[in-house]
Amino acid sequence: MTPLLEIKSACRYFGGLHAVEDFSGHVKRGERVGLIGPNGAGKTTLFNLITCFTPLSSGAVFFDDTDISSLKAYRVARLGIARTFQNLRVMPNLSVFDNVSIGALGALGHSPFAALTKRANYANDIGRRTWDALEQTGLQDQASELAANLSYGKRKYLEIARALALSPRLLILDEPAAGLNDTETAQLAEFVLRLSGEGLSILLVEHDMNFVMSLCERVMVMASGRKIADGSPQEVSNDPVVLEAYLGSEEEAA
Amino acid sequence: MRRLISISILLLAVLLVLPGVLSAVGGGYWFRVTTTIGVFSILTMSANLITGTTGLMSLGHAGFYGIGAYTTALLATKLHWPFFLTLPVAGVVTAVFGILLALPTMRLIGIYFAVATLGLGEIIHVTLLNWVDFTRGPMGISAIPGISLDGLFSASDITNYYAVAIIALLAALVLGRLTHSYYGNALRAVREDDQCAASMGLNVVGLKIQSFAFACFFAGVAGGLWAHTTGYISPGDFRFSESILILAMMVVGGLGSIPGAVLGAVILLGLPEVLRPIGDYRMIVVGAVMFFSILFLPRGLLGETSVLSVVRRQFGLAWDRTLNLGWRQ
Amino acid sequence: MFDVFFVQQLVNGLSIGLIYALMAIGFTLIFGVLNVVNFAHGEVYMIGAFAGLLAITQLAPPLFAVILVALAFGALAGFGLERIAFRPFRRFRDEASLKSKAIREATLLSSLAVSIIVRELAEKIFGSNMQSIPQEYLLLKPIEIGPLSFANGQFLIFGLSIVMLGGLQWLLKHTRVGLSIRAVANNPMGAAYVGINTERTIIATFVIGSTLGAIAGLIVGLYQGAIFPAMGFAPGVKAFVAMVMGGLSSIGGAVVCALILGMAEAITTSFFAQGWGDLVAYLFLVITLVFFPTGLFGGGRERV
Repeated sequence: MTPLLEIKSACRYFGGLHAVEDFSGHVKRGERVGLIGPNGAGKTTLFNLITCFTPLSSGAVFFDDTDISSLKAYRVARLGIARTFQNLRVMPNLSVFDNVSIGALGALGHSPFAALTKRANYANDIGRRTWDALEQTGLQDQASELAANLSYGKRKYLEIARALALSPRLLILDEPAAGLNDTETAQLAEFVLRLSGEGLSILLVEHDMNFVMSLCERVMVMASGRKIADGSPQEVSNDPVVLEAYLGSEEEAA
Repeated sequence: MRRLISISILLLAVLLVLPGVLSAVGGGYWFRVTTTIGVFSILTMSANLITGTTGLMSLGHAGFYGIGAYTTALLATKLHWPFFLTLPVAGVVTAVFGILLALPTMRLIGIYFAVATLGLGEIIHVTLLNWVDFTRGPMGISAIPGISLDGLFSASDITNYYAVAIIALLAALVLGRLTHSYYGNALRAVREDDQCAASMGLNVVGLKIQSFAFACFFAGVAGGLWAHTTGYISPGDFRFSESILILAMMVVGGLGSIPGAVLGAVILLGLPEVLRPIGDYRMIVVGAVMFFSILFLPRGLLGETSVLSVVRRQFGLAWDRTLNLGWRQ
Repeated sequence: MFDVFFVQQLVNGLSIGLIYALMAIGFTLIFGVLNVVNFAHGEVYMIGAFAGLLAITQLAPPLFAVILVALAFGALAGFGLERIAFRPFRRFRDEASLKSKAIREATLLSSLAVSIIVRELAEKIFGSNMQSIPQEYLLLKPIEIGPLSFANGQFLIFGLSIVMLGGLQWLLKHTRVGLSIRAVANNPMGAAYVGINTERTIIATFVIGSTLGAIAGLIVGLYQGAIFPAMGFAPGVKAFVAMVMGGLSSIGGAVVCALILGMAEAITTSFFAQGWGDLVAYLFLVITLVFFPTGLFGGGRERV
């Protein structure tokens, strides 16, 4: 069986800067994959390429055997790739419920005529999906709260809830544990594990190595836009190339 | 049940109480003032869909209003079409123009969109002013037949009032459903963060175009009503300053709020009429009211509320937020 | 192919273009520092013209003094404008909010509101019609060079614009104020950290930009013989177009585009009726925004 997500020698140049260069990799169905690398390695750019936020300079991305490289971002989301953002992008002026309903709207489509004719089934479906996602993330009690009033930790869950309302097959998390304390990080890891248990494939960027090592089945390492290692957490953490990328070579350190 | 009560209060007020009061205070003139307020309410409600809900600041709404007015005026004077044909056609023509003109500008955000719509509005105004063969230029079009139907009713101030009132109610209904529904949530998501909305599967460009099309449709209908009720239009009615007036009404009433739009129209058009000495300084009042509401009431008088919730609140039917999550359609 | 009429039109276009350039610089400076559009810039132009006119009718001083009066009033108008329409909305000092979307839209509306108030007040005081200007101050004395005929105003426009553009370059490159302006435009937080008084720099930017606008207003008023309260709107929009075409924060780009715009307009009006001339600017505006969102000369810019 082909992997759910397959990246084939993806390249992205910004002028002379090679943000992502010849990156190949994949995520299998139900797999939890971590993507690590020093700052500025091109991880977020790679995420933007996968979700078609930024067009590829060359290469291709396949999702479930369909070439998504030239699709618009919203089409990719509807195919089943949902993401969260590194710098939280909740909509502060909308309620928690309305925030999450955006994901459900993305999945079920939005038509002005449904609103005009008051199609009841449609509204119920969106409502149900939204509540499901809220319950999954434990936000149901704050549903009527404005998103701006949530704590930082809760906002992280709000972003995940919004992504879950899309009913994705692949969930992409950009630094989910950043800014969380140890207890919160542990809770988040447990939560992600539960999602994965329900069959969701997960690709995440994270700087917290404990989080990545305990959670992910496989880790890809990026440095200067290239993939430098790919393997189980143990393999990767003992790889001299990876250590060098993180710590710098002897001469540089001296 | 509550819903039914609120709706009947609203209908009663607009269709019986208000005309009653207006004829009691002396009819004619006040009917015309109210009709103008009604037309601007429709305009402001429609502009609100783009600016308040979808978050695209439009500075060219008067241009689309002008397209609707000229379409109606030309159809009514040249082809002698009756109002029940001219108004919807004006709406559709304006919506088509709106889409065609706005299509290329949909990629723009924030002030760039605002300025592009200013340009579009002025292009329309300059065209109306200079295409003399078609629009009669600065002379304008006069003797536009009023709203009448043989054997049923003839053109009069009261007919005009009811035509405007009924269409304003319809516009409030349609725009209210678009705004206060899951579809409205999608539009608000575009306003709050368009990139994030796209990554959640919303077709941002499609939503922008749809909201623009609906807004232009009602702007066109409002233009048609203006042409029929006043009988005379000229390019001066559709200048940039009218776009600003519409914007000011929106800002005062509350961006994204439909009753706010009506309230804004009442305040900015009604006050100068009631307080005579202010009348001469109308645009100054508009500017001042706009300035102070941005400074002190950034959410406007009513914020993002629906018509019915305002009526309900007035009658003490406080509403439980948790019961009202999601939209019952 | 030497067509006298055509050359004449080009020269007329060039002088109008220089005026747009003077206004566009004001826009560009303010946009550079605050990332906001100052909708009241056209009113500063009008204030300059009216200040000059008042000086002429009350005191009848020499032209040089009239220009100084316009200059002073322009500076004053810029200062007041910043205080009233922009300062109250800068409640937070960090960079994110200093150039945030909310502030941009709030000040867009507030400067629009101020511009309406100022224009309407001027209409209440002076009436909305064109003011009569004493004959001896009109800059319309013909000067013949070969087959070409120029007005003396055109020479004044050329001379003054070049002096002011040069002066501005010198100011920005070699004075403390100019350096602060460039620093704040580049990075307001960084500028604040190295001890530049951001507030004062912002005021200085408004004052300099408004001075240029006010002088432009006065000269155009005298050259076209048309001083009226709504005179600032059209040049304001055109200067804005020039700024957008030039890439928003490039003064050189704005000047070049203002000249292109002025000439394009002059050429259009020589082929079509006068009224269609305005259409050119608006078409340029929409086309530039749509097809060259980073301005005609490229250059980086955040997402439009």
